[in-house]
Amino acid sequence: MSVNPFWSMSTSTSRKQRADDGEEQGSQGEPRASPARLSFGKKQLPAIPKNAAPVTKLTATAMVPPATNGTHASYGPFYLEYSLLAEFTLVIKQKLPGIYVQPSYKSALMWFGVIFIRHGLYQDGVFKFTVYIPDNYPDGECPRVVFDIPVFHPLVDPVSGELDVRRAFTKWRRNHNHIWQVLMYARTVFYKINTTEPLNPEAAVLYDKDVQLFKSKVVDSVKLCNSHLFDQPKIDDPYAISFSPWNPAVHDEAKERMFAHKRRPEDQHKGVQVTGLSWVKPGSTQPFSKEDNSPQS
Amino acid sequence: MMASMVANGNRDGQPLVLKGVDPETCMIVFKNHWTQVVKILEKHDPLRSGGGLPLLASISLGVGGSGGIRFGPVPSVDEASAVQNYVEHMLFLLMEEDSGREGAMGPILEFVVMENVMERLFVWSLRREFSDDMKLEQLKMYEALVGQARQPVLHHKPVLRPLMMLLSACADTEAPGVEGQLVLLLHQLCCVLAKDPSVLELFFHTSEDQGAANFLIFSLLIPFLHREGGVGQQARDALLLIMSLSAENQRVAEHIAQNTYFCPVLATGLSGLYSSLPTKLEVPNEEWHCLHGDDWARMPPLVQFLNSLEFCNAVVQVAHADIRDQLLGYIYNGFLVPVLAPALHKLTLEEVMTTTAYLELFIRSVSEPALLQTLLTFILLHRHDNVHILDTLVSRINTPYQLGTVSLALFRTLIGLYCEDVMLQLILRYLIPCNHMMLSQRCVVRERDCYSVSAAKMLALTPSCCTPEHAPPPLRQLDSIVWTRGHAAGPGNHGGATDRARGSQSDDGSSDVCVIGSEVHLDVSYLHYLYDARLGISECMRACQVWSAPYDGRDPPVEDYPPPGEARLGPAAPPLHPPPPPPPSTSASSSSSSAQHRHPTLAPPPEPASTNQQELEWDDSYDACPTQGAGGAEPEGGQALPRPPASEPPQHIQEMRRTAIMLVRGSYVEESDFQDDVMVYDLVAKRTTADAAGGGADPAALRAPPGGSALPSDATEAAGDGPSRADSSAPASAPPSPGERDCAATPESPRVDDLLTQYQELIGTLSAEVGGGSGGGEPAACPAPTLEEEEEEEEEEEMEGMEVDYSSFSADTPEPEKLQSPLGAKHPRPGGRGHAVPFTGPFVSVLLSRLENMLENSVHVNLLLTGILAQLAAYPQPLLRSFLLNTNMVFQPSVRSLYQVLASVKNQIEDLTESRKDFPGMITAAQHWLLARESSLGAADSAKGGAGAIVSEGSKVNASPQPKGVISLANTEVFAAVLFTEFLKELAAIAQEHSILSYIPMEE
Repeated sequence: MSVNPFWSMSTSTSRKQRADDGEEQGSQGEPRASPARLSFGKKQLPAIPKNAAPVTKLTATAMVPPATNGTHASYGPFYLEYSLLAEFTLVIKQKLPGIYVQPSYKSALMWFGVIFIRHGLYQDGVFKFTVYIPDNYPDGECPRVVFDIPVFHPLVDPVSGELDVRRAFTKWRRNHNHIWQVLMYARTVFYKINTTEPLNPEAAVLYDKDVQLFKSKVVDSVKLCNSHLFDQPKIDDPYAISFSPWNPAVHDEAKERMFAHKRRPEDQHKGVQVTGLSWVKPGSTQPFSKEDNSPQS
Repeated sequence: MMASMVANGNRDGQPLVLKGVDPETCMIVFKNHWTQVVKILEKHDPLRSGGGLPLLASISLGVGGSGGIRFGPVPSVDEASAVQNYVEHMLFLLMEEDSGREGAMGPILEFVVMENVMERLFVWSLRREFSDDMKLEQLKMYEALVGQARQPVLHHKPVLRPLMMLLSACADTEAPGVEGQLVLLLHQLCCVLAKDPSVLELFFHTSEDQGAANFLIFSLLIPFLHREGGVGQQARDALLLIMSLSAENQRVAEHIAQNTYFCPVLATGLSGLYSSLPTKLEVPNEEWHCLHGDDWARMPPLVQFLNSLEFCNAVVQVAHADIRDQLLGYIYNGFLVPVLAPALHKLTLEEVMTTTAYLELFIRSVSEPALLQTLLTFILLHRHDNVHILDTLVSRINTPYQLGTVSLALFRTLIGLYCEDVMLQLILRYLIPCNHMMLSQRCVVRERDCYSVSAAKMLALTPSCCTPEHAPPPLRQLDSIVWTRGHAAGPGNHGGATDRARGSQSDDGSSDVCVIGSEVHLDVSYLHYLYDARLGISECMRACQVWSAPYDGRDPPVEDYPPPGEARLGPAAPPLHPPPPPPPSTSASSSSSSAQHRHPTLAPPPEPASTNQQELEWDDSYDACPTQGAGGAEPEGGQALPRPPASEPPQHIQEMRRTAIMLVRGSYVEESDFQDDVMVYDLVAKRTTADAAGGGADPAALRAPPGGSALPSDATEAAGDGPSRADSSAPASAPPSPGERDCAATPESPRVDDLLTQYQELIGTLSAEVGGGSGGGEPAACPAPTLEEEEEEEEEEEMEGMEVDYSSFSADTPEPEKLQSPLGAKHPRPGGRGHAVPFTGPFVSVLLSRLENMLENSVHVNLLLTGILAQLAAYPQPLLRSFLLNTNMVFQPSVRSLYQVLASVKNQIEDLTESRKDFPGMITAAQHWLLARESSLGAADSAKGGAGAIVSEGSKVNASPQPKGVISLANTEVFAAVLFTEFLKELAAIAQEHSILSYIPMEE
């Protein structure tokens, strides 16, 4: 789970309309495309539009410019969408410690994230960031990572808050590079400080020359970031990550559910009506090899 | 009518109110009435004795002789009605009495017990003419008593015993009214039993008094097992009550399993009912492919069969494991093997098609896993004439006429079960060794297609005439959707998905937010496919959680599996199955042993031990006085089932089964228009032979060897000599003719394993004929058929005929691809099967070969075909997924992939488009027709609730609009082109969803 139900729960109305955002992760990309979702016929062919004479051109559609890039251009967005969803499932699988991300509601190319630093110089830091993925993914450059508040760090641009990711991924190679690697890199920089070719020369110089001062600047920076923790998200998006102070009425239950969740999977198997059948003995490839003769359920 | 009055008293709304009446007063009234009754009774009692035992003796005589022997003068009408009046009141008082303290008997009941009132009344009723009316009266009396008494009256033997005698006396009745009342009372007793199992002991105990441990209530119900209508239903309900009782009560379970014929009657009853099903179904139209509710509701015999099947299902569900296993064993050996297997191998396409449709319906009707397992074991493992049923069924997919379509429907149902065993036998076992792919590709099996490469490649096969841009607007469902490529971060821009407004350039100037709004036109229908794919895959993944292995190329391990050559043969060879099933033919024919033959996994505990067999009771064997009643108490047994002599019960199970089989066989053999079908078949065979001969010398040569052994002439003979052929061959396909069967099934028979050989032969023949003799040298390699092979060869011949005939349909549109069909030319002859020839199994091959011929298939066949393939593609097992959907995978040259076949179809369509100017116009017309069909189906489905939508697709006759004049359904290639395009989208959507779903950790 990349999204911790306790923090974000921002109370904006648009958010409430989409309840269960935590559960919706797997299908983040869908809402954008969902206007057509209204009536799902069982199958295959789109429904016939009402009142549409079969062959006459409708003015509305006539306005639409033809699809540009050759015959199959119209599927391009689907490929991109699913590539990003696949990346997202990879992130989930990695279970990166202290890092949580969530694609934005508006675009699969923008992911909101937060990173918790648990030890080292930046201990106790909670940094929100946004990941921007180029729209020609996976063939473009590497995704960008921008912190909401520019953290005092040699590799973070003191004005824009952008982390220098490109040094780690000079060329983005499809199939080899994945977004979770970028996130892991974003975490690593806070534990292993690198000062070569810094975006923030001041921080780099301080780290090399006066660590004590560097440390105190870092502490200040961490404090600053944490003091803005409860600010409204910088980007207005229903899925933006936002924090609110602990409110037992809201959060206790969520917390309980989180802890209960761990135990559930095994129980689930028993409770859920299983529709599949198998009489194959594990380790065998013969049908009906199970000895007990009673179907597993 | 003493009983009727009592029974109806309360219902009529004029109950005699006893509230507030002093119990002692009631007692006094009761005794007074009884005294009056006794006076009349004794007047007619020759023995003038109040004792119980002599009474009993006389009763049994009375019962058995059915009024033959009477004592004293017949009571006068006045006397009878006086008794009746008294008894009415007495019963009423008895029913209204409450139990005494701590469950003690109330005084009236105690009096009834002491004075043996009920028994004496029963004797009295015998003394008068024991007519059906009298029985009815008595039954109603007990029904009232059992149903309304406030005390547990059945706990007392003086009440119970006459009841049992009455039941026993009613057993042989044939009057519908009495039957109905009897079953009603039995049902009531079963309800009492279910609520109060302590009574059970008494039922057994009472029987023991009579020298046999039996359970009369149960036995009496058995003859009604297969009865139609309300009586049958009530009897089955009552039996189910006892079945659930058996789950808790070992004694009941043992009794039923060991001392009754319940299981054999139930199972062989299926055979009997099956025999009355039509052997040929009328096919309403070409679209028809399986039996639906409205189809079978119009066929009473089928309704009755399904009722009994449903009952079996229920018994399996609730009964004790002993009973369940025994029943399953009998269903397997008493119905599936001796009846259904031969029926699946009838001589005409129509009959075989009908049986296949029944089988498909049966599978759909069964819900209980254990029963389903029995059916599936039969399909997957049983061998008829040395060929697995499954293989026969698979080979029929490629037959012309309705049989191929119905077979497809059967496999769609099978695949939809999400059953590991089915999938293993059909496909997975061929994929496990991984030698269908290049060695280097093994690691690719589990790879995920992160960037939808496969989907893109599939969609790139879209024929040029069918691209969305070519479709006129209403068909071209391009919706323009704002694809926010950048990040619409401007304040107030909450648009999200549905927002058509372009994401405006954000004005806050923050450099990290770049917004490039752009409209992209999406094929909206593709969203539907994605959604359906998501649902389908998720459901499949959930279902497959119970599977034993992930089938990912590592588990089960590649190397643990026998090399492919053997792997194919493996499942056909009995030794690989832990306890080998007995050769079906012997089990059905050798009478002494067959009862013990059961399929290993189904094997119930050994046949009722021979020590018990002496005590086997038939359902009527409650005998009030065994010593004297031998002559008179014979009658019952349920109409269809003869009472077995007590000495050798197993023989009778045997006989019963045989009777059922004979019935079945009889009705098949004597079918009047059998002859016509033989002739039709013969014509087909001749035509194909002719075609083959025309195609070149080689195919003809291929046919020659079997021809030399007089086989092909078989059909010719049949045409001229129909009846004799029918006579001689029909028994041959039904097991129990011991002699021939046994020799055919001798284990020495060299061809144990040969599905594959046959299959390849078949394919070889097919391609040889299509390709005009590309399989030149093959006939030489064909071994001369041995005697044992003949029958099989015959079957083969038949199938061959079908195949060839089918392909001859397409002969007028030869496709270059066909000449290099991977199934034919590239496959070595069976002689070479020792090598590990990569082979993905007959099922996949046959599906792909039908798919390749998509342009010649009817719309409905194509819908079924693509439906099956889409369902297969939804399975999450990496082996299957990579084989069907991974377009980057490199397979062995001899292995045909789905993608290759799709590419071939695309080329065929492109060729057509070029050669026919009217093609694009027809495409549009076909799209309109399909859309209209789709919408009407959608409407029908939403009315019914979506669940059945998939199944019903293509099945609704009325829902299909006629093509709008412009295009006829005969233009299969046009419809196929449209369906092909849609199928590509469906597959691409499935591939895309797999790239996400199959990798989400299970906790999600």
